[in-house]
Amino acid sequence: MFNCKKMTYLVSESLDRKLSLHQRMGMRIHLMMCKFCSRYQEQLLFLCKTARLYSESIENSDLSIQLSSEVGKRIKESMVRFLEKHK
Amino acid sequence: MNKQQSILNNSVENPEKWVDLYGDYLYRYALYRVYEATVAEDLVQETFLAALRSLKNFQYRSSIKTWLTGILKHKIIDHFRKKAKEQPMDDIESNINNLDNLFTKNGQWKIKPADWNANPQKRYDQKEFIKILQKCLSELPVRQASAFILREIVGENTKEICKILDISTTNSWVLLHRARMYLRRCLEINWFNNSYERE
Repeated sequence: MFNCKKMTYLVSESLDRKLSLHQRMGMRIHLMMCKFCSRYQEQLLFLCKTARLYSESIENSDLSIQLSSEVGKRIKESMVRFLEKHK
Repeated sequence: MNKQQSILNNSVENPEKWVDLYGDYLYRYALYRVYEATVAEDLVQETFLAALRSLKNFQYRSSIKTWLTGILKHKIIDHFRKKAKEQPMDDIESNINNLDNLFTKNGQWKIKPADWNANPQKRYDQKEFIKILQKCLSELPVRQASAFILREIVGENTKEICKILDISTTNSWVLLHRARMYLRRCLEINWFNNSYERE
């Protein structure tokens, strides 16, 4: 029988690889009986899913985040220099 | 000449156009992966220069935005590779965040995961979530934060992450476990303001 600390490791590992049959069974039984580990799993899934979703959608939605005009200018100048060198 | 070709040709003559058209998008893309404004700015600059260098490789099948984003993604991964190289390896086992305190000696929960559903509207505050995630990530050891970002935000598999961070497969699971565990707890404290279980 796995304890809760070991279970949190398995819950995380199950997001990265296929666990052995023994591990999967042990995890299923533990999660059925343990409210807090089951909550832990749910919250870990939420954390990972949301980190991805929000990072991706902000690229298209949060238009207030922009390159400052100085940095834009610096980048343009570096491109002009590059093109002159490689004419 | 189609629209893409004309934009591309125009850009060679006039790179300002490129920066104006795609600069802000690429900057946001980089910022939500490296979380440091100056690093993100440098990566965007490197991306445009690399694009100019490989202009002839541009495939008209994809959009310029997609092509530039692909270059930027490589630059971001390189950034994590370099950052990991500069770090001593001992941050893999680092437990500076005292995760063991969450459990009793017997491995039972001491600080139990709180009920996040008690405050459901919190879950949908996107900007707040990103802000807190960024703060929590900045508190993690470099390899732990890098592994999490590469896995969950960049979307790499663990095999690639091992190559990028120069670590073993087992190490990658340990790093991801520690990062996720810390971030979950950090989110609970800072986002849900619920530092203990109310029963």
